[in-house]
Amino acid sequence: MNTRFLSDRIFGLVGLALAIGYALSARAIEESFLSDAVGPKAFPLIIAAVLGLASAVIVLRPDPDPVWLALPRLAEIGAAILVMVLYARFLPVAGFVIATAFAATYLTWRLGSRPIASVVTGICISLGIYAVFHLALGLSLARGPLGF
Amino acid sequence: MISKATRVAMAALLLGASTLAVQAEGWMPEAPECIAPANPGGGWDFTCRQVGKVMQDEGLIDKTMQVVNLAGGGGGVAYAETVNKRNDSDDLLVAASSSTATRLAQGAYPGNTVDQVRWVASIGADYGVIAVAKSSPITTLPELLAQMKENPASIAVAGGSAVGGWDHLKVLIAANAYGIEDVRKVKYIAFDGGGEAVTQLLAGSVQAFTGDLSEAKGFVDSGDIRVIAVLAPERLEGEFAAFPTAREQGVDALGANWRGFYAPGGMSDEAYNAWVEKVATLYASDEWKAVMAANGIAPLDLQGAEFDKFVHESIAQIQSLSREIGIIK
Amino acid sequence: MDTLTHLADGFTIALTWQNLGLALLGAFLGTIIGALPGLGPSNGVAILIPLAFSLGLGATPALILLTSVYYGAMYGGRISSILLNIPGDEPAMMTCLDGHPMAKKGMAGEALSLSGIASFVGSIVATWGLILLAPQLVKIALLFGPAEYFALFTLAFATLGGVSSTNQAKSAFAAALGIGLAMVGVDTQTGVPRFTFGEVHLYDGIDFLVAIVGLFALSEVFLFLEHRHGASDAAGKKIEIGRILPPVKMIKDTSGTMIRSTGIGFLAGVLPGAGASLGSFLAYALEKKISDKDGTFGKGDPRGLAAPEAGNNAAAGGALVPMLALGVPGSGTTAVLLAVLLSLNITPGPLLFTQNPDVVWGLIAALFIANFMLLLLNIPMVGLFTRILMVPPRILMPIVAMVSFVGIYGISGSSFDLYVMIGFGMLGWVLRKLDVPLVPIILGTLLGNAMESNLRRAIAISDGDWSALFASPVSLVLWAVAIAGFLLPIVVGKVVKSRMHGARQTAQSEEMDATD
Repeated sequence: MNTRFLSDRIFGLVGLALAIGYALSARAIEESFLSDAVGPKAFPLIIAAVLGLASAVIVLRPDPDPVWLALPRLAEIGAAILVMVLYARFLPVAGFVIATAFAATYLTWRLGSRPIASVVTGICISLGIYAVFHLALGLSLARGPLGF
Repeated sequence: MISKATRVAMAALLLGASTLAVQAEGWMPEAPECIAPANPGGGWDFTCRQVGKVMQDEGLIDKTMQVVNLAGGGGGVAYAETVNKRNDSDDLLVAASSSTATRLAQGAYPGNTVDQVRWVASIGADYGVIAVAKSSPITTLPELLAQMKENPASIAVAGGSAVGGWDHLKVLIAANAYGIEDVRKVKYIAFDGGGEAVTQLLAGSVQAFTGDLSEAKGFVDSGDIRVIAVLAPERLEGEFAAFPTAREQGVDALGANWRGFYAPGGMSDEAYNAWVEKVATLYASDEWKAVMAANGIAPLDLQGAEFDKFVHESIAQIQSLSREIGIIK
Repeated sequence: MDTLTHLADGFTIALTWQNLGLALLGAFLGTIIGALPGLGPSNGVAILIPLAFSLGLGATPALILLTSVYYGAMYGGRISSILLNIPGDEPAMMTCLDGHPMAKKGMAGEALSLSGIASFVGSIVATWGLILLAPQLVKIALLFGPAEYFALFTLAFATLGGVSSTNQAKSAFAAALGIGLAMVGVDTQTGVPRFTFGEVHLYDGIDFLVAIVGLFALSEVFLFLEHRHGASDAAGKKIEIGRILPPVKMIKDTSGTMIRSTGIGFLAGVLPGAGASLGSFLAYALEKKISDKDGTFGKGDPRGLAAPEAGNNAAAGGALVPMLALGVPGSGTTAVLLAVLLSLNITPGPLLFTQNPDVVWGLIAALFIANFMLLLLNIPMVGLFTRILMVPPRILMPIVAMVSFVGIYGISGSSFDLYVMIGFGMLGWVLRKLDVPLVPIILGTLLGNAMESNLRRAIAISDGDWSALFASPVSLVLWAVAIAGFLLPIVVGKVVKSRMHGARQTAQSEEMDATD
């Protein structure tokens, strides 16, 4: 097997596994006594079949590999995901302005700003969004211990 | 820039509001909040926003009611939030309706039961109707049900809720009352909302429609569809008086989509009683009467213990019906 | 000439200084809401309803404000599509395909103003269509039962392959993934939960806004993080924004596109349940079939930009037909507008045109006013919008990320949606690397449920007889087009495909990194 096509082959296999898993959980859907003629399982099973078929074609006729990144870059993205997850977790606790300032500061810093500039940018982004979304548009954002 | 006139007007408004407030009950919510368990624009959202507005206009609350949209799980996310995180809040109301009761009855809010919250009051109801297209040979409810009994496949009924949802249950209540043994044979087609269901009735895809009066009103006025039964205890008032009830046609079926509120289970008695009182005052106000008339909402005036009993009863009724037709075990 | 008298009456109602001011305010707010990822037209209108109430507006002024917001958001969605490759709302997703490549070629100014003009053409023609044809169009909507809708959705997916990717299998994979994700949640037909794994947050399904923001906006942020030290760093590169006005030749070249796309978008809008996204998609698909002789679509072809913009704005106008005449919303936004009408004590339906002519014609006049306002607002502001490109990514991308989070959180108030969005961000990043198109995923999540529901309704009505799907002339025509649309690119597209492949391979680095 030509390694230049490895990504797509792996991707296709993952897709096949996904299709099988999807079909299995579709079969496990509990049907109530009261159902329409087609029922809740049939359509997901059709979709699983299409998914599986498309994945098989990808395995058999792959495109050339993309450029993957070196490990440190991958860690970079992993860290960003972690920060986002933490942001989602602590947003309701810490309140919108504080949580957003932290997350925005981190992203600004990792995208190449100097630390102090990042903090300033982060706080500005947070306050700016708060002004537009909460004060102008009246969306209810997470209220923290300090009331914002 | 606020002009002087506006400022004076606002001061007067605030003053007026506060005098009214002093006259009303002693307890006032510090930061009144209403959770609408759906995205902006739906029925629950409407309940919160309209009630919040009228309450403030009437001076029942001195601050603006903050409406929070907490969508998910057909109201289940908001229910869980109220039970788990907001149980002690005195300032919180949550919008509810028949579909809240239906889901509670069918156990669709995993781990939550009706007794975990305090049921405050109703603010009105929307009675169910069963209708056919104007070209249909069927003119009465017993005719429709007779044909359904004889040949279930010949009548497809369209409604705006899922199978087992409130619109479906209304037909089944009628079918049950008429004496159709196996109501599961009733052919129900679920659409995304009453409007789409009516459209398919007009398009001729289905033979009958089940929904709320407010959904059908425009098409009844234009003569495109014919209401063959209202699922109300007696004939409605005003322009709706022309529709026969199911009861007077010998089918003892009632179906009201009520709207109302519940509050956290740990709410203090003082706050609970004050909220009950506030909703009662709201219900009696002329402004609310106008809102009801504008939106085709029929009277349903239940507060406090009475409302709590009503919700429990309707859940029990839905449960036994759902068990009968096999949606729940 | 009854119609014109009515229209003139409408304008006398609508043309006051207060209403013009409201239209301007609405158009401005709408444009911003549309451009912000995560806030689409439907949420925009819903958010601003309280504003209409708290200003104590009457029926006509409130409608003018909110329709201006609606149309403004339809215009605004294209801005972030073109400049950032992030659709501001779901109908603007097709605008990314050629709009962003144009901006990359240094033609951001032309892209913005041309799409503004295309939007204007689509809206204005659709508004005339609404005036002149509404009663007839209602009859078209009534030709569509569940079986016909199912055929229509199948048509959309069958033509996908020719649209967004060179690899049909990957398109099909993406579409199936999108439809599969749409199945998550409580089944609308029977009420049983599917693929929810007992998680109550999943009972209502996955909101497509969460998917779209995650797939497009967050994955874009990840791509920037990845390339920060890459060779393609933009340091020192001069950013070209191009002209503010498109050359006359470009408008002339795209005029045919605009007319065709307006027609197809308008028809898609008229069908409740199809909506603006399908309108822009079908407009793009058709235009590509007709015009893409040299394989320039997807690489910054102005026609590929004009088609979806004219299409989605025409669909927005078309969607008002079933909303006003049947009381059935054709899209999420018209659903919200319907709620507004109801709360203003106006019941849309067959009698609206005779019972409340002042409201209908006031609304139609409002549409015209909003459109001219938007054209006037948008063309001079092109220069301002393109400044966004001058903001360095290290500041712009965090803003994009945070606005995405806030847009989603502000609507649903749930952290869970944010986790799902982050998941979509990761998925989008991986799929982009693998050259899997994202548009079919969104189309799948948008239309998957409606497709399944209509299939099941059709079969339920026919008591399990599957031939009911092919029973009417309308559905037979739709099936024929679907089959032709599916087979043509496979047969004819081989040539284009091999050429595109060659181009891509040379552009791609040969260097191979070991991956997991």
